[in-house]
Amino acid sequence: MPAALPINEEENDMTTTRRRFVQGGLATGAIISAPATIRAQTTPSAARTIRAVLHGDLRVFDPIWTTANMTSYHSGMVYDMLFGVNDKYEPQPQMVSKWSLSDDRKTYTFELRDGLRFSDGTPVTARDCVASIRRWGARDGGGQHMMARLADTPVKDDKTFQIVMKEPYGLVVEWLAKAATNVCYIMREKEAGTDPNQQISTIIGSGPFTFNESAVVQGQRYVYDRNANYVPRSEPAVMTSGGKVVNVDRVVFENIADEATAIAAIRAGEIDMIEYPNVDLLDSLAGEKAIKLEVLNKQGQLGWARVNWLHPPFNNIKARQAMLHLIHPTEVMKATFGDEKYFRGCSSLFGMGTPMENDANIDWFKGAPNIEKAKQLVKESGYDGRPVVVLQATNIAYMNNAANLIAQWMRQAGFNVSLQASDWGAVVTRRAVKAAPDQGGWNVFFTSGSVNAFGNPVSLSGHAASGEKGWFGWPTNELHEQLRDKWAGAQTDAERKQIARDIQQNAWDFVPHAYFGQWFQPAALRNLTGLIGMPELIPFWNVKKG
Amino acid sequence: MLSYLVQRLASTILVMTLVGIFVFLLLHLSAGDPAAIIAGDYATPQQIVAIRQRLGLDDPLLVQFGRWALRVIQGDLGVSIFSSTPVSTLILQRLEPTLSLAILTMIFAVSIAVTLGVLAAWKAGRPVDRLLMGFSVLGFSMPTFVVGYCLIYVFAIELRWLPVQGYRPILDGIGPWFMHLVLPTVTLGLAYVALIARMTRASMQEVLEEDYIRTANAKGVSARTMLMKHALKNAGVPIITVIGIGVALLIGGVVITETVFNIPGIGRLVVDAISKRDYPIIQGVILVFSGVYVLINLAVDLSYSLIDPRIRH
Repeated sequence: MPAALPINEEENDMTTTRRRFVQGGLATGAIISAPATIRAQTTPSAARTIRAVLHGDLRVFDPIWTTANMTSYHSGMVYDMLFGVNDKYEPQPQMVSKWSLSDDRKTYTFELRDGLRFSDGTPVTARDCVASIRRWGARDGGGQHMMARLADTPVKDDKTFQIVMKEPYGLVVEWLAKAATNVCYIMREKEAGTDPNQQISTIIGSGPFTFNESAVVQGQRYVYDRNANYVPRSEPAVMTSGGKVVNVDRVVFENIADEATAIAAIRAGEIDMIEYPNVDLLDSLAGEKAIKLEVLNKQGQLGWARVNWLHPPFNNIKARQAMLHLIHPTEVMKATFGDEKYFRGCSSLFGMGTPMENDANIDWFKGAPNIEKAKQLVKESGYDGRPVVVLQATNIAYMNNAANLIAQWMRQAGFNVSLQASDWGAVVTRRAVKAAPDQGGWNVFFTSGSVNAFGNPVSLSGHAASGEKGWFGWPTNELHEQLRDKWAGAQTDAERKQIARDIQQNAWDFVPHAYFGQWFQPAALRNLTGLIGMPELIPFWNVKKG
Repeated sequence: MLSYLVQRLASTILVMTLVGIFVFLLLHLSAGDPAAIIAGDYATPQQIVAIRQRLGLDDPLLVQFGRWALRVIQGDLGVSIFSSTPVSTLILQRLEPTLSLAILTMIFAVSIAVTLGVLAAWKAGRPVDRLLMGFSVLGFSMPTFVVGYCLIYVFAIELRWLPVQGYRPILDGIGPWFMHLVLPTVTLGLAYVALIARMTRASMQEVLEEDYIRTANAKGVSARTMLMKHALKNAGVPIITVIGIGVALLIGGVVITETVFNIPGIGRLVVDAISKRDYPIIQGVILVFSGVYVLINLAVDLSYSLIDPRIRH
């Protein structure tokens, strides 16, 4: 039995003195605030932290496993690329210090720059790069095109490797530099060796930030800390090229699902950025001097209506041509984005403002909308009045509005439209169904993509017209496929632009799909400067807060 | 009593089994393919098929159900299709915000509502009663998100007294934790204040007409003793029933409140999981919710006997 402890009379006194009250209060305060104090020692200050609300939740962390843009944003923080692009979309060395092309134009030799390290401290080697290129090449449209013509990828030494092609191929560096998903990010050989159809489980890159997994709340918050091992290039930052100099300690991707809450949070100074604030709520930011609206992706997004080539009526060229004539992009865009400064129509197959934009075969656009012409084409198609199933994703505003308006114009043109509402999750399932529309299939669905992605005739899966092997809608056109191959093999920009004209000339005749507008949604920035505006990525290097 | 308890707990297992089967079938028979969502918008059909095979989503439904049920029996709720994180980890990660919100809401609602209900019953037919009941109708009819936005506008944007959104764990300090929960608690609690206050008033009014209350009055018992000691205890059973129902309804209510105030709770977890068709999360959360619901009902039933000894016999 332990000895009885001596009782201190003063401690045993139950009365409360002023001194004891103050002491007790201070002790309670210290206990309550202690955890916060401990945390504050490891958490960067608010002045050195950027909190950004981006366009969606980060659901997948592997940039090869998915083509989702949020995953590309995450990967742009954590991983680096062999090449970046400048503001003319020209490839510029990023992880590479120098590179050369052999006289027979088949062998590319790349040397890595000094000081490249992964965030775990291990050096980046040529073997890591080759493994990453091979995994990317197994999934990406452009990568697959390149790998089909690849002879070998020999590693010469720790810093040097080659890409040897079977034939001269002009797009190797362009593919390695492109920012449209899937991006060729460099991982450690260990992760890059993972089956491309399986998600990687470790996130270690050599990019300007490290992924702080311990601070992540899935579905809510993703945290990136400055990578102390990162050595930026000395050139100024331009798009994904140049020095990725990080001026803050931490970036947090906050997933605020409610748009009104996000607006209130930026007004109250709780967050620093909203990538796509709801345009209906922009007026409420008008009086806020600290907040500015800025279009970061100047190429914007392109909305497209995919038609199903496997079933009537869109297995008929006249019915597809009718779709070009009946859509009124301005009305669709107005319904969602209101102010005309945020949208425009799109006549080029490759989007407006891309290097491949051209005006071949766009008479349909100049005369659109022309319901009478559409009516005539529907009649000529021999359409028999069967229901045309239009999929409507009601939980995404622009898709919902596009479906409502275009369905109405389709009815005016003579189609018997069956508008079928669901959420986007159900649309992505149903669009993969090849059965007839009355057996669970479909005729039309709406979606959008980055204009930058549309600017490349080969890497965007939706540009293929390879039938049932291709993207949903499954258009088929042999000449189109030949021209895409020819474009990939072209050696100069001038040559590529001419082939792009030929592709478009042919495409607007056979109509693989139709566009319903191109939009440029502004971001809301609170006391942020130096944010580089570009498509496909929000780069948090170069940014300063305050 | 013990056999009653065992019987009720056994029925909990039966209810959860039925819920499990129902939720599994409902999810897998409704439209939506997580593989297509994972693959992203530019993915080709071949890539989606490869992901579906990798995740075992192309196996027959019975095989998938068997696999899931076997794991659940062993206490394993599976892993998220998207993040590969165990569902139990995700639920535990989200438990603190939801529990904090639910507990604070119930404390807020019960303490305000019972006081108001007793006051309204005592002053029945007078202006105070009409005012309180008018307020309760308003509280009950205003949608949660409207109340939330109004409170955010006044207290977070205009007055800057409280944060707009987010959640701070209790380990960050009680002050920040509490400040982040004030607006969500009031938003969510208002409807429950209205519901419980009306029930308290009705129940109290009935009791206040009893003979023994009249006798107490005649004996000169103070109003406070009469109301709180003699009347409220006897009016307690219906009030506790409503509070029990309120706790169960709270599980649904937190979904909207957590979304409006950006609280990383279980409500947000399940809404996000539904939008991306993350089946294991949806199944896991609903299973846990159904278990909690049944246990709350059991606790309410057991509490009757504590309040009213007649029920014990």
